[in-house]
Amino acid sequence: MSEQQLQRIRKWKRNQLLLFLILLAGLSIWSAFGTGFSLPALWGGFGDGAQFVFVDLMPPDFSGLADLIGPALDTIYMSFAAMFVGSLIAGALSIFAAATTSPHPALQIGLRAFSAMFRNIPVIIWTILLVASFGLGNLVGTLSLLIVSIGMLVRCFAESLEEIDMGQVEALRAAGASYWQVIGQAVLPQFLPSFIGWSLYNLEINVRASTIVGMVGGGGLGFAIQSGIKLFQYKDVSMAVILVLVIVLATEFLTNRIRGRII
Amino acid sequence: MAENRTNTLINRQPEERPPAVKSAGSYRSLRWYGLFAVAFFIFSLIQLNLDYSRLLSGVSKFAKTVSLMFPPDASQWQHVLGAAVESIQVAILGTVLSIIVSFFFAFLAAANTTPHQSVAWLVRSAASLLRAIPTLIWALIFIVAVGMGPLPGVLAITVGATGSLVKVFAQSLEEVDDGVIEALRSTGASWLQIIIQGVLPCALSALLAWCVMRFEGDLAESTILGAVGAGGIGFELSHAMRSYRFDQALFVGFVIFIMVFSVEIVSNRLKRRMRKRA
Repeated sequence: MSEQQLQRIRKWKRNQLLLFLILLAGLSIWSAFGTGFSLPALWGGFGDGAQFVFVDLMPPDFSGLADLIGPALDTIYMSFAAMFVGSLIAGALSIFAAATTSPHPALQIGLRAFSAMFRNIPVIIWTILLVASFGLGNLVGTLSLLIVSIGMLVRCFAESLEEIDMGQVEALRAAGASYWQVIGQAVLPQFLPSFIGWSLYNLEINVRASTIVGMVGGGGLGFAIQSGIKLFQYKDVSMAVILVLVIVLATEFLTNRIRGRII
Repeated sequence: MAENRTNTLINRQPEERPPAVKSAGSYRSLRWYGLFAVAFFIFSLIQLNLDYSRLLSGVSKFAKTVSLMFPPDASQWQHVLGAAVESIQVAILGTVLSIIVSFFFAFLAAANTTPHQSVAWLVRSAASLLRAIPTLIWALIFIVAVGMGPLPGVLAITVGATGSLVKVFAQSLEEVDDGVIEALRSTGASWLQIIIQGVLPCALSALLAWCVMRFEGDLAESTILGAVGAGGIGFELSHAMRSYRFDQALFVGFVIFIMVFSVEIVSNRLKRRMRKRA
């Protein structure tokens, strides 16, 4: 590359960055006007937030811990059950949704669209929707987590299935193996590690999401947080938030350990 | 592994696949983990004590709800689109603020640019604390602190996004070649000079990519913040659902879907271009 070319590229890069920054600044100003946002409001907001966190929320009420253990365990159970059922269903569906293993392209496109819908409608909306017909409680929480899990896992599983070594598949096919024999002997063994990896990752996401689901009536810790705020029992709320924190971090730690052990 | 995980967290795409199962020994332990998973699943179901009769009756009720959604009612479109714009604005402001904040903290958190390792540790743990609490809970906290409206939404997104951006920014900074830093240091450059002349130019495109991906996540989050009262289109949705106007709710759902999906497409394209250049 000649010196001139280099300089041109450098200039182009600098201009690109400048343009990006100007665009960003313009968008931010537009947004600030639209939301009635200002720097004093920001400072005030963070100040009020910090005051609320350190004065009203602290110290957490440890005597409320006994009442919160139940919802906390429910949160874990819901996330795990949704992950377990979700990964089994998604595992079965993804075989038909991956280009490499799908028996028919129409089936593949249909399943992909289906899972995109499950995935792109936020979990909280699924919960609000399902609460209207299934009532409040753990059932709704588990169901909406299940729906979102299937949506996410079908996509991830299908993408992993598309990346498997096709040589093995071809070899078996050449030997006269049937469709199901090919799936069982060539596809599944290669697919297993990513199946486990994505399922564990899904468990982490579910644990986070389950607190959100609880806020709109799906049971678990989110419900405890929401009702605590409505009743101004802020010390209980902070205890519940700490439990959320513990569960999320513990799940991350555990899944990382299992991942390291198995895969 | 941790890096892969954050990649997937924001990409929602397999960047790197987990390697194949190691050996016969890990297969054996795999069987135990599988058995444990099944046992824990059954235990969870027993503990959850789900009402399966409600599952059946709920399905027919759900079908009725869905039939009430059609045709979608777009008569409130001005209202809904206004709320959608508000959601986008909340997402933009929250992302921009968190980028500014985490840009500075990332240099303190990255092992190769931090003034002291204990500072790095402190900033990192603070970030993971912010990250572990879901944005919706931040929104609830800020609603109590500053009242309803878009402001608590902006604050909640800023806090949540800062938690994850500090982590990924720091990781990108740590990927900068040590030779670059060493070369500048040997010429007698100060800390600030090393960062501006050496680290920043190397990491810039990675940082930009993270910003785009963060915006994708923040937009999805800002659309739902309204459901707990933080303004935006989520409020329209939960309002329509609670007043049993399912046809209006479906229209709002469509708008949310289009917002989230179009940003996902744009950022996917950007990601592919970044990867091609890299």
